[in-house]
Amino acid sequence: MNKERRKFWTYPWGYRESFTIAFAILLVGFLIEYLSPVNAIFLPRWPYNLLLIIVFLAYVALSNRMVKHPIIKWLSGVPAAISSISVMTLLVLLMGFIPQSSEPGGAFISDIGLTHVIKSWPYLLISFYLLVILAFTIMRRILPFKVKNIAFTLNHAGLWIVVAAASLGSADMKKFTMQLVEDKAVFTAYDKYGQPRQMNFAVKLLNFHIKEYPPSIGLLNEHKGELKFDKKAELMLVEEQTEAEMDNWKIRIAKYYEAAVRDTADGYIPNNRPGASALAYVVATNLDTGAVKEGWVTNGSFMMSPKYLRLGDGHSVVMTVPRPKEYSSDFRFFRGMEDYEDVTIKVNKPATIDGWTFYQTGYNEKMGKWSQVSIVEIVKDPWLPVVYTGIFMILLGSLYLVWMGRTKNAKKQEEDDLV
Amino acid sequence: MTWYNYPLFMFIAAALWVLALILLAASRKKMFKWIGGLALFGGLASMIIFTTGLWISLERPPFRTLGETRLWYALFISVIGIVIYYRWKLLWMLAYALLMAIVFLFVNYLNPDTFDKTLMPALQSPWFIPHVIVYIIGYAFLAVSSLIGVKGLYLNYKGKDVSKTIALADNIVYLGFAFLTFGLLFGALWAKEAWGHYWTWDPKETWAFLTWLVYLLYIHFRVNKRKYVVSSLWVLSLAFVVLLICWFGINYLPSAQSSVHVYST
Repeated sequence: MNKERRKFWTYPWGYRESFTIAFAILLVGFLIEYLSPVNAIFLPRWPYNLLLIIVFLAYVALSNRMVKHPIIKWLSGVPAAISSISVMTLLVLLMGFIPQSSEPGGAFISDIGLTHVIKSWPYLLISFYLLVILAFTIMRRILPFKVKNIAFTLNHAGLWIVVAAASLGSADMKKFTMQLVEDKAVFTAYDKYGQPRQMNFAVKLLNFHIKEYPPSIGLLNEHKGELKFDKKAELMLVEEQTEAEMDNWKIRIAKYYEAAVRDTADGYIPNNRPGASALAYVVATNLDTGAVKEGWVTNGSFMMSPKYLRLGDGHSVVMTVPRPKEYSSDFRFFRGMEDYEDVTIKVNKPATIDGWTFYQTGYNEKMGKWSQVSIVEIVKDPWLPVVYTGIFMILLGSLYLVWMGRTKNAKKQEEDDLV
Repeated sequence: MTWYNYPLFMFIAAALWVLALILLAASRKKMFKWIGGLALFGGLASMIIFTTGLWISLERPPFRTLGETRLWYALFISVIGIVIYYRWKLLWMLAYALLMAIVFLFVNYLNPDTFDKTLMPALQSPWFIPHVIVYIIGYAFLAVSSLIGVKGLYLNYKGKDVSKTIALADNIVYLGFAFLTFGLLFGALWAKEAWGHYWTWDPKETWAFLTWLVYLLYIHFRVNKRKYVVSSLWVLSLAFVVLLICWFGINYLPSAQSSVHVYST
């Protein structure tokens, strides 16, 4: 580094100019965010977003061909790329440490957008800077097309497509929540602000199914309110005649009803009607004193209050609320009175009808397995195929990286060293 | 097989690996190499048997808790160390990989995991296994690359040539980065199925994206192989810190308490 230093802002631009520009863009972003009265950026909708992309790409392609200015070369060079990735990293790093929320606060970091980074001006401008540099880089490499540039093109163009389509396409995405009730036709969906909206279709929940894991049993420290499960050994999933040692107690499940209701003052009978709950008859033997405590334990339900077995030494045997294993909804989608389709969805298995994708997201947790309400999210994302195209391009490009490794690539890149 | 049986398998693996390292370092004689190699694979076999047994008895893939991911990490990093040793004859890499594996096995020994068969519905997906496996492979490669980075910094400090060291790092970063990309994108495709959107800026996603960006930075720094070697080595060494925050640190970050990825163990 004992070469004479190049003067600032003389061509060709290097790292100093690139970073100055990137940070300037960031600062301008913070300034706009600080000065703008509302925390909302409206991105163009269809068809203007597509138009914007076409104009942008045409502009980049043309200037890449016609203009012979050093700036064009700088825009597709490594220093510019590194400056944009660095500043993007910095911004996302701040986002990683500062809790993000949708509600604007009064603090300074909120005013400059750091509590809602992805909806802020600095993020928008830096993303744009990244897209510009990526576009110039790609244009210079793909024309004329060469086979050896295939991984480069897949990775860079794939990334451009993903970022451009995901951000500009987000304006066209529709997302609502619907609360389906058994045997009722529902027309109303709610947006993320809770505003109702009438849809041009109706959905009737035919059936809501839920399967649960058996509950587990543990010792509750009554002072600390802490649950202690039997570590290392089987966490005590409730099954008849199983035994486990917890602290100095031996816990045995003498009887287990998956679902039961109260019969007599202190008796229960198996029954699966709504409000029945899991019940276990627990026998606890103190390993030091030999004292025995026994009784019914239940986690309760919306009909029955929970019941513990107090051991008298500051511990109680308690049952946890069972965790759902699987839940699903059968529903009927009506376009008109006679025109309908029956569909089943569950978590991880959405279904698409008339462009709307239905996702199972929840149910009435208070009612547990007797819930007659199913909460679904409906999403329409017309840009999804474009984003997926980009994703698959990157996947292919990465596969190529694994296959060929760095060595092959290095040679190629040394040939057209850009710096 | 449950975590009850874990100490036995862990001590067998750790003991065999330490024995292998001693034998391989002690002498170049053929007999030493043979027995050392045998011990190497014996330790690996012990881990594979335990992991398989755990998988079977859990009745679900063991990828849910941090303890379970540590187990896989120990498995993959030892495999990578062994492959690198036989391919490039780098004993110090093998030693590093095996010691990392042993450290992770000990962390699991000291913080026993609960045996929990339940798997919440969102995790019941064909994407679950590939998503976690490619990430763990990526993490293992990148851990190795960061050690090479530190070694490069040390060599540079001593005034020695680092071009060979950094060339090796480049190779491994490319592999690790590709796997990181797979993990990120598999996660995105899965998220679309499970939650309706491929990217929701969940804190874990934010940090995974950050990790990806930092390695992307390294790769671009290395486009010109002769310049900025020392800066690249620093980026490489520090990148692993970001990766670790993404993997473990996130459980302690106030900004990440609502994450769907904060493991419950």
